[in-house]
Amino acid sequence: MEQAVPKMKYFGTGNKPTGEPFVWCAAMGLTLGLTLIVSLMGLILVKGVAVFWPDRAVVLELKPGSTARLGGSEYLAGVVTKEQKILRRAKDISGGEDAGRERMEWQLFLGNKDIYGISFKYVDYADISRTAYPEDLIRIERMEYGDAFGFPVYLEIAGEDPIEFSSAAFLPRLHALVRDVSHRWDEIRKIERDEIGAINLKIERLRLRKKKLDRDVAQNADALEEAALKLTDLQNRYNVLAAEATDLRQQQSRDALVYQLATDQKKRLPVGEVVHFYFPNRLNFIDRVGLFFHRLWVFLSETPREANTEGGAFPAIFGTFVMTVLMSVAVMPFGVLAAIYLREYAKQGILVRSVRIAVNNLAGVPSIVFGVFGLGFFVYFVGGSIDRLFYSDALPTPTFGTGGIFWASLTLALLTVPVVIVATEEALASVPRGVREGSLACGASKWQTILNVVLPASAPGILTGLILAMARGASEVAPLMLVGVVKLAPTLPVDGLFPFFHLERKFMHLGFYIYDLGFQSPDSEAAKPMVFAATLLLIALVVVLNLGAVLVRQRLRKKIMAGAF
Amino acid sequence: MTAQSRFQTAASTLFLDRFMTRFIAVGGISVIAAVLGIFLFIAWQTLPLFQGAKIRRASSVALPEGDYAVLGADEWGELPFVVDHAGAISFIDLVGNREVISVYPGRELNKDITAFYYNRIKQEIIYGTSDGHFFITGIHFRPFYEANSRRIDVKTETGPLMRIGLEGVPVERITYGAGNNKMLVAALQTRAGKAVIHTTTLVKEASLFGAGQFITATRFEITQTFSSEPSGILVNSQGDGIVISTAEGKIYYFAESGGKLKLHQVFEPFDDTADREISSMDYLLGEVSVVLTNPQGINRIFSLYVPAGNIERVFGPTKEFRALDGPAAFYSASLRNKAFLIGRDNLASLRYGTTEVVRWEERLPFRIRHAVVGGKYDRLFFLDWENQLHIYMLSDPHPETSYRAFFGKLWYEGYTEPAYEWQSTGGTDDFEQKLSLVPLIIGTLKGTFFAMLFALPMAILGALYTSQFAHPRFKLLVKPMMEIMASLPSVVLGFLAALWLAPLIEARVPSILLMVILILGSSFLFGAFWTSLDMRHRKWIRPGYEWIALIPVLFVASWVGWQLGPLLEKVLFVTTDPNTGLRIADFRLWWPEVTGASFEQRNSLVVGFMMAFAVIPIIFTISEDSLSNVPRALTSGSLALGASRWQTAIGVVLPTAFPGIFSAVMVGLGRAVGETMIVVMATGNTPVMDMNIFSGMRTLSANVAVELPEAPYLGTLYRSLFLGATVLFVMTFTVNTIAEIIRQRLREKYKTV
Repeated sequence: MEQAVPKMKYFGTGNKPTGEPFVWCAAMGLTLGLTLIVSLMGLILVKGVAVFWPDRAVVLELKPGSTARLGGSEYLAGVVTKEQKILRRAKDISGGEDAGRERMEWQLFLGNKDIYGISFKYVDYADISRTAYPEDLIRIERMEYGDAFGFPVYLEIAGEDPIEFSSAAFLPRLHALVRDVSHRWDEIRKIERDEIGAINLKIERLRLRKKKLDRDVAQNADALEEAALKLTDLQNRYNVLAAEATDLRQQQSRDALVYQLATDQKKRLPVGEVVHFYFPNRLNFIDRVGLFFHRLWVFLSETPREANTEGGAFPAIFGTFVMTVLMSVAVMPFGVLAAIYLREYAKQGILVRSVRIAVNNLAGVPSIVFGVFGLGFFVYFVGGSIDRLFYSDALPTPTFGTGGIFWASLTLALLTVPVVIVATEEALASVPRGVREGSLACGASKWQTILNVVLPASAPGILTGLILAMARGASEVAPLMLVGVVKLAPTLPVDGLFPFFHLERKFMHLGFYIYDLGFQSPDSEAAKPMVFAATLLLIALVVVLNLGAVLVRQRLRKKIMAGAF
Repeated sequence: MTAQSRFQTAASTLFLDRFMTRFIAVGGISVIAAVLGIFLFIAWQTLPLFQGAKIRRASSVALPEGDYAVLGADEWGELPFVVDHAGAISFIDLVGNREVISVYPGRELNKDITAFYYNRIKQEIIYGTSDGHFFITGIHFRPFYEANSRRIDVKTETGPLMRIGLEGVPVERITYGAGNNKMLVAALQTRAGKAVIHTTTLVKEASLFGAGQFITATRFEITQTFSSEPSGILVNSQGDGIVISTAEGKIYYFAESGGKLKLHQVFEPFDDTADREISSMDYLLGEVSVVLTNPQGINRIFSLYVPAGNIERVFGPTKEFRALDGPAAFYSASLRNKAFLIGRDNLASLRYGTTEVVRWEERLPFRIRHAVVGGKYDRLFFLDWENQLHIYMLSDPHPETSYRAFFGKLWYEGYTEPAYEWQSTGGTDDFEQKLSLVPLIIGTLKGTFFAMLFALPMAILGALYTSQFAHPRFKLLVKPMMEIMASLPSVVLGFLAALWLAPLIEARVPSILLMVILILGSSFLFGAFWTSLDMRHRKWIRPGYEWIALIPVLFVASWVGWQLGPLLEKVLFVTTDPNTGLRIADFRLWWPEVTGASFEQRNSLVVGFMMAFAVIPIIFTISEDSLSNVPRALTSGSLALGASRWQTAIGVVLPTAFPGIFSAVMVGLGRAVGETMIVVMATGNTPVMDMNIFSGMRTLSANVAVELPEAPYLGTLYRSLFLGATVLFVMTFTVNTIAEIIRQRLREKYKTV
């Protein structure tokens, strides 16, 4: 039995709400925004992670007459870093056989900069006749000139017969040698940086003392003599250590590895130059993962080499950390103090309201303006005065009268103090009135109420503000460029030498590291991987801090909702 | 323990409470004062830029009796000298107590001196004799140290006697200009009652051992061209230009071309004034400009420049100063900058050529006969008619600045017209700092404009959609995403813009163009198409989920746009190579050819796009807040009356929340204005004045970041950069304050609804 279902008008196509396409247009705004964020973060993640992933290395056989040939050799070895369409500056559309046809090319990382003089080579697909991934191809990370690719030939060991690559003893021996070498480097570094560094510092202080004593030779004859004795003693110790370091350095270049490049040249490399080596085409997945973490660790823990393009970024990470901590220590008490005053003590009126607006707006003032203030006030005015009062012996070399980590931290503290004030005020305002009145009714004084009731209740909010301030502080670069950040700091701001915290020292910073490496480096293409790695690290740091703030805030909301009575 | 004391508060508690009240009040106020004091400090640093010169009377010295024609000074201002009409030089020791040192140059030559001229740049005096000869005496000041104090020693040295002009005829006036290897001497003599001018060019002999003697190269007579008596002669240091003024008020400009002196220009500087005569004519430092006065005291500067349509440099009027009360009686140009001291009687006026500003003007308590500006621009010397030498200390650390130098157009030497220009360092010594902030402000606005161009549609549409149409659960996703976006360090965005985005889109501008159109169009078309579908199909995408459905649309549109770009380029953006006749499809060539504007890889498009990342989250968050806060009653009412959701959003929600959105835009503007690292990294940092999207710019903030680390402490550049920071501060602070006030008003309004 069939029953005709009346077609309801509701389902018809006639019922179209006005302006629906515009809603879709608006939706595109959101879609586009979110897609852009996700793809940008994805790009940085992929590029940043790829830096540490060990890739296979390829050997290319080039067709005769290829322009990509180096020194007439028909082979090229390296790692493919990019695959792209050939970009021609002028796109001729008048005709011609391959006009308009897109051709592909590889960007090949060649290494061996000491021999080739270049790091990268573009190779047209059409020029390649054969590709191979030979297992014997070795990739060596070196102290200088970046990586090398080649085929090992033999090991040259002082006082022994050379060990051929084909012999079974080759690899274990090479591993052992590289391990020795790396221990020796540690030793050299300990002597040169720590021990000689300490002596240098003492000599410098003695020199300043002498300069002071020299003003009145007659009165300070004894002291001068004593200083001179000490100086000779230090000089002697210095000489002993320097000799030791020289001896160690000589040992580093005693043994050598000889390898042959794909382009046929033979190269003798002292084992002391080898930082690390591996056979990129012999690795299985587990090996690769292992190597990935090894390289990541090197990046996080070691000092940079070769104008920051090799090695690690530890000083930059450490500098960012120390600066952020110093900034937090400075910003926290002042920000909270100002907020408590504004919210709890000041008479609420037009004046306080306008002060509040002004403080709020300071958070929107460009960071470079704070940098300008930091340079003019902290560095030149305050620092210059400190130098004249306490470090006049060292003048004209400035001690505090030049950019340093202390001034950088204070500048950033000023920059972020509005953030903390605003967050703290909000947190204080959200403490329910009943809680305060309860406390006051129990006989607590105003300060006791604030200290024991209001502040604990608003602590998560204050913490959120501090975390946001830290995130902002850690990611600022522009003001730092004016107040003490440098490309390469020889010493860390905190070390084992008295007085341990060297607040006047210049320091390295991840953000500036990115700027400097990407823009001031002589070989920006070779520096790119390090920039991406540093970028990933900085973003990870900032995002973790921000997510932390979001989580703290959400917990706070729940707590306040539950705690309201 | 009594009952009462039980209820009494402990003294320590009360004390602590009172103490903390004070402590927090004092501490809080000082923190806020310190934070607000930042602006005051920065502004205070810029104040000296707008102050005039300060003059302080130091001492007066009585000179021996005599009739002095010239007053001169050494570089240190410690050993000034006078020259009497017979050509004898007397040095006056101001610091030590040496007697007046008198020198009689050329005495051994046994000639009568009839004219002389003091060349301050070379510190030499040229003497003309009664029989048509000349010789040059050099004055060498040399500092030496005696008992830990610096003193100045002086020695004079007279060169060989040389002939000029008519033999045996007295030289009535003589002048010269000399560089390292070339010298041009001009002398005025009378022949048969008529003034004649002769010039001699001397060049340094090329010798194996370096410094050779000057020898005569060419001689000219340049008299026949004048219609009246010559009254003033100026020769430049390059020895290739002569400026001669005549009694009736004309100026003749001769310049050397092809080994000959050629008349380049004749002009009348005061042809529009009552008195056309020229009373004084002198060079300004650099010898590109002449400072002129007429008998009325009108003071003008004419400078050499290449006018449009000309190939040679000629003089043109560039500056006019406040008039003196009569013809200038004395003149002295500074050797450090474009300042000059001019005046008559007891009036002295220190003026700055470039900025057209009177730095200082005063009537002094004596009648001035001669005056000279100290070599370091730190002293002024005046010789009065009673032979008293008055020394004044001059303090004018920033003479080249003025309100107009920073914010107005200035006619710099050699320019064809007044210009706004920022150029703080230059290659040569006589380089003039150009400190106009206008190109930087324009650059700042340009960057901001392009950032807003990208950010505004995305942020506001996104906020509108999120608050009005999207399912509320997405807010929990969108808000943290936006916060993460807001926290992206700008150095990262700058790095990506410059090293990843700029090279990527350099060759694909048509693709980008197409993508923008396609993305916008496709969403609209897809919306229209979907709405036209039957409800059975339409329900597959629930309202509030549209943005997810658009993700594939976005990808397809972008991909199609990217791929079709080159095709579009071949159709629309084709240029023909003039040399080979090939037709080339390349937007990068097409743009400069069609618009005349340049195309750079790191351009405003890239900066705007990346800066949008920094600005979107701010605009989005604030506008989303104000859109969401529109009272529910209003929207419900509108929907209940039959309006569609779009009509409600546009007709009810948007107007109500408009102030909030406006304030969001203002805050976003503030952020874009102050953005530093993205601009530093992703533009060429050239100060330009155009709005071309394919060229870079230099913003105020980038300028500070790039130049301040190298600027000498408290120098003019240092203070000018502080001024830039002040402008930046004022711009952002104003914008933010407006936004904040609007937002507070809005909050009040919602309360009442």
